[in-house]
Amino acid sequence: MEDRIPETPLFDRSRQLRGYRLNKMAMGLVDPANREAFRQDEEAYLDRFGLSAEEKRAVMARNWQEMVRLGGNVFYILKISAISPARMTEIGAHQAGMDHDTFLRERLGKKPAGSQ
Amino acid sequence: MAKLIGGLGSSHVPSIGAAMDKGLTQTEDWKPFFDGIGPGRDWVAANRPDVAVVVFNDHGNSFFLDKVPTFAIGCAERYDPIDEGWGPRAIPSFEGHAELGWHIIDRMVENRFDPMIVQEIEVDHGIQVPMELFFGKPDKAWPVRVVPVFVNVIQYPIPLPSRCYELGQVLRRAIESFPGDERVVVIGTGGLSHQLQGARAGFTNPEADREFLRDIASNPGRLAALSREDYVRLFGSEGAELMMWLVMRGAMDPDVVVKHSHYFVPASMTGAGMLVLENRVA
Ligand SMILES: [Fe+2]
Repeated sequence: MEDRIPETPLFDRSRQLRGYRLNKMAMGLVDPANREAFRQDEEAYLDRFGLSAEEKRAVMARNWQEMVRLGGNVFYILKISAISPARMTEIGAHQAGMDHDTFLRERLGKKPAGSQ
Repeated sequence: MAKLIGGLGSSHVPSIGAAMDKGLTQTEDWKPFFDGIGPGRDWVAANRPDVAVVVFNDHGNSFFLDKVPTFAIGCAERYDPIDEGWGPRAIPSFEGHAELGWHIIDRMVENRFDPMIVQEIEVDHGIQVPMELFFGKPDKAWPVRVVPVFVNVIQYPIPLPSRCYELGQVLRRAIESFPGDERVVVIGTGGLSHQLQGARAGFTNPEADREFLRDIASNPGRLAALSREDYVRLFGSEGAELMMWLVMRGAMDPDVVVKHSHYFVPASMTGAGMLVLENRVA
């Protein structure tokens, strides 16, 4: 998919359709019972939402960049981080292709030690 | 009739709420932001609003992609905070002003805005954080009732900036035709520049943010005339949230006085702003 604004995915119809199941799976995690199911047997939870092998791999590897490429929207997939903790800045760094300290320094103008 | 006493603007970054929850407001990362919110709180304390009409967006908490209202207006008696996935936050429920909510919906439809009508919904950090910033988090009850106005800024097609501005103009007439003596503030929330998605993640634009804070007061027509893609290009993938400040601004007179303006970057990954506007002629 070609981005009209460089390196910036717009959550338009094609992305939204592409990521619908993935986002629906992540949205399900607002329910504590689903969070527990995800913890107990992640793959079985993902199968309930009909995720493809490619989508399951991306989720199980916590590959944020790939999840977004597959139509995931950060507002939904972020809910996975409630189960396996990842800070928003770490998810940002992963998408930017940087290690966390470099991301904080170069994108957010922080000193390496002064993380949030 | 109810009286519009001010237009407020505020970021709603969830980590601002988390920083308050964890007592981090005086840390090196957060002090410069929290140092600048005092005058906003003081203004609210001195001007004693009874109702806050809060314009914000849901972030995949109250609405999923199965149903996406472009505009939605609350007419509930009560709005509970939603569990966004980390467990519920310790924050009191919001008391709704259902009568005013219904009245605003009536006037909207009569003026050719057709919002979704919402009688039962839980609300996320989009409304929680601005309320905490302006009113402080109370132990039991908030000092004002609320009318939430939801704007879709996530799933395209999102509304045009000019449409958000016009919505504010209708909102103004709706508030001022409400039979009551309530003192009302409109709070536009979101932004400022931030990008959570894609390889440009972490993008902020302090220069554009500062221009926005200046022009939202003195030249809102320029900001209303920008395109949706201008907002994303200038303010990041989540920068379209700033359009919600145009709803607040549309509710105010063309000529306003800036009572307070504050900017700090980065709050987590976001340019954070606070603004207090009054109409020049009260
Ligand atoms: Fe937001």
